[in-house]
Amino acid sequence: MKAKSFQRVSSLEEAYKLVKESPRNKIVAGGLWLKKGGAEVDTLIDLSLLGLDKIEDKKDYVEVGAMVTQREFEQSNLVPEMARAAVKAIMGPGFRNVATIGGSVYGKYGFSDVITGLLGYKVDLVFYPEAVVSLLDYIKKPGFYDGILTHVRIYKENLKAFFKKVGITALDYPILNVAVTKGKEYRVVVGSRPLVASRCEKCEAYLNEGGKDFAKAAEIAVEELKFGDSIATKGEYRKQLALTYVRRGLEEVSK
Amino acid sequence: MVVKFNLNGLDVEYVIKPGEYLLDTLRDHGVKSVKKGCDASACGVCTVLVDDKPVLSCSMLTAKVEGHRVTTVEAIQEEAAALSECFSKEGSDQCGYCNAAFALMVHALKKENPHPSDEEIRDYMVGNLCRCTGYNGQQKAIKAYLGGKK
Repeated sequence: MKAKSFQRVSSLEEAYKLVKESPRNKIVAGGLWLKKGGAEVDTLIDLSLLGLDKIEDKKDYVEVGAMVTQREFEQSNLVPEMARAAVKAIMGPGFRNVATIGGSVYGKYGFSDVITGLLGYKVDLVFYPEAVVSLLDYIKKPGFYDGILTHVRIYKENLKAFFKKVGITALDYPILNVAVTKGKEYRVVVGSRPLVASRCEKCEAYLNEGGKDFAKAAEIAVEELKFGDSIATKGEYRKQLALTYVRRGLEEVSK
Repeated sequence: MVVKFNLNGLDVEYVIKPGEYLLDTLRDHGVKSVKKGCDASACGVCTVLVDDKPVLSCSMLTAKVEGHRVTTVEAIQEEAAALSECFSKEGSDQCGYCNAAFALMVHALKKENPHPSDEEIRDYMVGNLCRCTGYNGQQKAIKAYLGGKK
């Protein structure tokens, strides 16, 4: 990665000012994807000194700082189990000790296991200056939010949860990932199609209105989603996987 | 820019480029035990410890280790030699390119979880590739070295 300067900022205000000064000034979270993307940057803005590396219990939700690493997230007992399992499925500990939750979420990566897992919960994203956006809205809206992601809030719910990553090896990008949760209502999420994860709203509506046929629910889910080809596999194969794992997820959370 | 950190117990101060990664900094300063493999976060041979945690040095910006402790295999030679004995007994050692990273991973695992199960060993080592030997011998060697689940 080419960069002209590296600035370890002492406040979010300072970081935001730098971001607004030039589109070539970039926040560096873990730094993994800036490298993979071959970024050419004027100033790398490092948030390491801002205390965004904590996971805190805030009564109604768990607040995860954007600079918390994937490894810290997966090891925290405050974080819901399925969200931890989704993160634990990513590469090895050496990778997860570098990658951050903020970087993983903000980037809206199509292959993201983190986003698929989190969409199974009620999650808000906190941006500086002063905006709170639901993860679902953030993912649906094209582009990136004009602000600095500081925290991810995972609301406490009594849920049964299922997560499945399908990949050729543990180190490959997922061919597909699926999360299903059931609390007061069902949430069904399918990601890495290879597009960024989506909630399956028609499928959820069928289930939340009393539908009990999980095979039919899985068919509704795959009909409302787009599946594409990638170097790893064909869209049609992804579709067949989704049919199976959505059904299995629904069976699992309904036991 | 200048970065200061502790490398294997010694305070060092290096002039680096702002977008430079730790793998290149270490190798440029003679620490050749840290290997360059895929240079894309996928193989694990560049593993070092930062504050005792394993990280892929190909993916860690050098500027981000300012004020931290970096450990390479040179700092854990006795442990690496003992692990090497176990690798030899299991025939799980061939070209040696991945060994330094394996030794650091096992060192970190031992601190985090002194008596891991087979599954916990596999989960921990999953990001470290070896193209010579397969993984069963290494699994047995690591288990023998750590003593298995108590």
